[in-house]
Amino acid sequence: MTVRSVSWTDAQRVSSLLARVTATRSPEPAALVSAMGAARAGAPGKAAPTPAKAAPKAPKEVPRLVQTSDNPADRLDALVAWTLAHQACVGAFVADDNGLTLAAHGISEAHVSLVGPLLSALVGVRTIPGVDATAGALWLGAQMMSWVEARTTRGGFCLGTVGDEALSTRAFEQLKEALGTTVRGL
Amino acid sequence: MIDTKVLDAAVHDLRNILRDGLLATDIWERTAGLSLAGFNQQPVAVALFTRITEELDSSLRDSNFPSLGRYYMLDMAGNHTVVVLNHGKLLQGMLVDNRRANLGILISVAIPRMIETVAQAMEL
Repeated sequence: MTVRSVSWTDAQRVSSLLARVTATRSPEPAALVSAMGAARAGAPGKAAPTPAKAAPKAPKEVPRLVQTSDNPADRLDALVAWTLAHQACVGAFVADDNGLTLAAHGISEAHVSLVGPLLSALVGVRTIPGVDATAGALWLGAQMMSWVEARTTRGGFCLGTVGDEALSTRAFEQLKEALGTTVRGL
Repeated sequence: MIDTKVLDAAVHDLRNILRDGLLATDIWERTAGLSLAGFNQQPVAVALFTRITEELDSSLRDSNFPSLGRYYMLDMAGNHTVVVLNHGKLLQGMLVDNRRANLGILISVAIPRMIETVAQAMEL
């Protein structure tokens, strides 16, 4: 009989130990923290209270623009004043489709003049079926210019605003309606 | 036959649009040089711009250029702008103070309205 050496290792024992170690290792690490909102395992059937959702803010009611004057200059001034009062902007303007300013507040004529090439470029865009392109927003570098366009027999007119962000779809619709009301009498 | 009442109404409308930016205007017959309506009328200007318009028209024709369209403008010293409208048999001159009148309103609102109204006056 041979005395086992201290350094002797039982191959079978080592194999079984290794097997036990690998068997207990789960393929994915156990989550230490349950996901937020998930029901805890083993907890009574009571569902975790869901946080109350904040009610969506009702959009601010914007009164329709009512034009009381027949004078084109008064009508345009009223449109710019209405826009500044009811839309999120620091400047507003009305221009023709050549980029000539008809009325403006809080924006330079140089900025308004870019409406000319902008609207010309959109003529090509409108040839694509299904593309309306009568409203949009343009990043000026420090501010966002949003505009809507209305066409009459005398040409196109553009109502634009300048602010930190582009106007919403709802605001665009309000501007279109107000511009349409105004240019009908020009 | 030209309805001068419609022309008077057109001049009144122009004054409302341009307000104190409009310094003077005349609507006159191109051949006779007879003024039919106006505000602060200027007979010398009528004679001058009839001649300038005829010269311009014939020069363009002789050079095979496109003929004169609806209007031409002159930027003059002292912040004055002269616009001459070609209504066919009639011509119209406007003297505008360009510090007080808005160019966009002049070109996109006042001139198209005037052209339409004078055309109606000549149809009658």
